[in-house]
Amino acid sequence: MKLQRDLSSAARREFLGKLGLAAGCAGTVAAGVGALGAVQEAEAKTDGGASFPTPDYDWTKHRWGYGVDATKCIGCLRCVEACKKENHVAGDAHHFRTWVERYVYLEGEDKPRIDSQQDPVNIAASGSEKEYRFANRYKDAKVEKAFFVPKLCNHCTHPACVQVCPTGATYKTKDGVVLIDHTYCIGCQYCVQACPYGARFFNDVEHVTDKCTWCYHRITKGLQPACVEICPVGARVFGDLNDKQSPISLFIRNNRVQVLKPETGNAPNVYYVGIDKEVN
Amino acid sequence: MPRHIARLIALIVVFGALALLAKWYFTVDSFYEYGHYRANSVPEIAAQAPVFQTPRYCQPCHAERVALWSANSHKTVICEVCHGPAQGHPANGKLPIPTDTKKLCTLCHEAMPGRPRAQPQIDVARHAGDQQCIACHNPHAPKIVAAAAQVAGDAAAGKKRAGACAGCHGAQGVSASDTWPNLAGQNAAYLAKILGAYKSGDQKDMVMTPMAQGLGDADVQNLAAHFAGLSCAAARNESSAADVAAGKALAKNCAACHGETGVATNPAWPKLAGQKAGYLANALKAFRAGLRRDPTMAGVSRGLSDADIANLAAYFSAQSCAPAPGGRAP
Repeated sequence: MKLQRDLSSAARREFLGKLGLAAGCAGTVAAGVGALGAVQEAEAKTDGGASFPTPDYDWTKHRWGYGVDATKCIGCLRCVEACKKENHVAGDAHHFRTWVERYVYLEGEDKPRIDSQQDPVNIAASGSEKEYRFANRYKDAKVEKAFFVPKLCNHCTHPACVQVCPTGATYKTKDGVVLIDHTYCIGCQYCVQACPYGARFFNDVEHVTDKCTWCYHRITKGLQPACVEICPVGARVFGDLNDKQSPISLFIRNNRVQVLKPETGNAPNVYYVGIDKEVN
Repeated sequence: MPRHIARLIALIVVFGALALLAKWYFTVDSFYEYGHYRANSVPEIAAQAPVFQTPRYCQPCHAERVALWSANSHKTVICEVCHGPAQGHPANGKLPIPTDTKKLCTLCHEAMPGRPRAQPQIDVARHAGDQQCIACHNPHAPKIVAAAAQVAGDAAAGKKRAGACAGCHGAQGVSASDTWPNLAGQNAAYLAKILGAYKSGDQKDMVMTPMAQGLGDADVQNLAAHFAGLSCAAARNESSAADVAAGKALAKNCAACHGETGVATNPAWPKLAGQKAGYLANALKAFRAGLRRDPTMAGVSRGLSDADIANLAAYFSAQSCAPAPGGRAP
C-alpha cells in the first residue's frame, strides 16, 4: 500500500514535471512567435504608409550630420544661451548641452591655455551664471595664436554611451541621433562615464542624464538646431548627409574635415575645421 | 531521471516561465519595436515645441524691420539673437528691446584674441567711451554709410570763385571770426557734401543758402578742391576759458568718426582739429536742437550739456589740424 502510494506519488511528480517542462517549452515558443510577430509588425511599419516618428517626418529618409568651422567662431556664446533656452537646461554654470572652449597659445609657452564659458573669470565678466561671455583676459598678453571651438554631443555611429546603458534609456535613432528616454533613465550615470567627449551631464532635478539632441524636436519639423539657427557667423553647420547638396555635405566636401578622438572607435558625426591637435 | 534532478528542472522551468511572464507584463508595448529602447520616446521627444522661431515667424508683422535688417550687414544675426526667443510672442507680450547695447554688441564686436580677423572688432574704450552703440549705429543697419564722394574739382577754377567766400572764411580759408568755420585743409568730400546740402536746401543758413544756390555743380566741386588744398597751419586758436581736459575725456565718444584729435578717419566726415571753437559749439547745439539734421550727430549730441559742448569745442579747436601720427597731446 505504502509502496503503491509512493509509486503513484512518484508518477504524479513525474507527470507534473513533464507538464511543467511542456509548459515552459510552449511558453518559449509562444514568446518566440510573439517576438517574430512584433518584428514583422515593425518592418511593416517602416516599409508602409505611416511614417515614424511623426506623420510628416520619416526617420528612414534622413541621416543627420553636424559641422563646426572653428575659423569662423567669434566666441560670442549666443549658441550656448540659445541651447539652454531651447532645451530648458538649468540656468547655471555647470550644465551645458553645448559649450565653447577658448584655446590661447601665449608666447614662450608649450601648451595652450584653455577656458570655457563656465570659467569663474568668464562668469564674473558676464555678471550672471545665466548669461555667458568670454572675458577679455588675454587683451594685454602676448598671444601667439588663439581660437574658439564649439563643442557638443558627437552623435557617434558606435556610441559608447548607448552600449553601456543598462535600461535601454539611451539609443541611436534611424536618422543618426543619439537620444535619451527620460522615463527609462534610472540616473546611474554609467553613460556619463562612458562618453569620451564629456558631452553628457546629470540633471540633478529630474535625476536623469541629459545631453544634446541636435534639437530633435526642431529637425523633425524642418528647422535647424537652435545653435545653428542662432550662430551669427555660420560657424555651425547642420544638414542631411543623404542630401549631397545639404550644408553639411557641402561642408564636408569643400573642407578638410576631422573628427575628435577618432581612435576611440565611436565614429563621431560632428566634423571640425580649423582646430589644433590639442583640441579633443 | 533521478527525482531531485527532475524537480530542479521543473523549478527552473517555472522560474523561467514566471520571468518571461513578468518581462512580457512589465515591458511597454513599443519597447522592442525598433531596437532595445522604447520606440514611443522618439515621437515624445519630437513633439516638444520649438522655442526659437526663426525670422520667418517675425516677418508677417515686422515686415519693415525685417526688410531693413535682411538688406544689411547684420542679416546673418537673426532677430532672436538680440530680442530673445519668440515662442509665445505676441500672445504673452512684447519681446525685449535691449537697452544696454554696449554690453550686447560687444559680445561679438569687442576686440579679443581668438576672434577671426574678418570679424569687425573695436577697442571699446577708444571707440566710443561710455556711449551706447545705438547712439550712432542702427542695429538693423549697423554700418554708418559714409561713402566719401570723389571730388574731381579744379582747384584753380575754385580759387577764382572763392572771392565771395573770403569775407567770412578768409582769403586763405582761415576765418577771422570765431563764429565762422575755417575751410582751409578741410576734407574735400565733406566740403562738397555740405555745400551741396546748402544748394539743395537740405541744410539752411541765412547767408550760405543764397550763396550756394548761385553755384553750379562744377563750382561746388571746384570750391571744395580749392579749400581742401589750402594749408590749415595758420589756423591757430587762442586758448579758451573752457575745460580742455574735460573736453578731451568727452571727445572719446567722437573718436570713431572724427579721430582722437579731430582728424577724421573718413573724408566724408569733417576734420574738427583747429576749427573755431565758437563754430563747433554752435554746430553741436544746432545738431542737438535738430536744426542741423544728421541721424548720427542727433544721437550723440542729445545728451550733451552746454558746458560739455563748450569743453568739446575748446578741446578740438586746440588740436593741430595736420594729421599727427601717434596723436599729439593738447
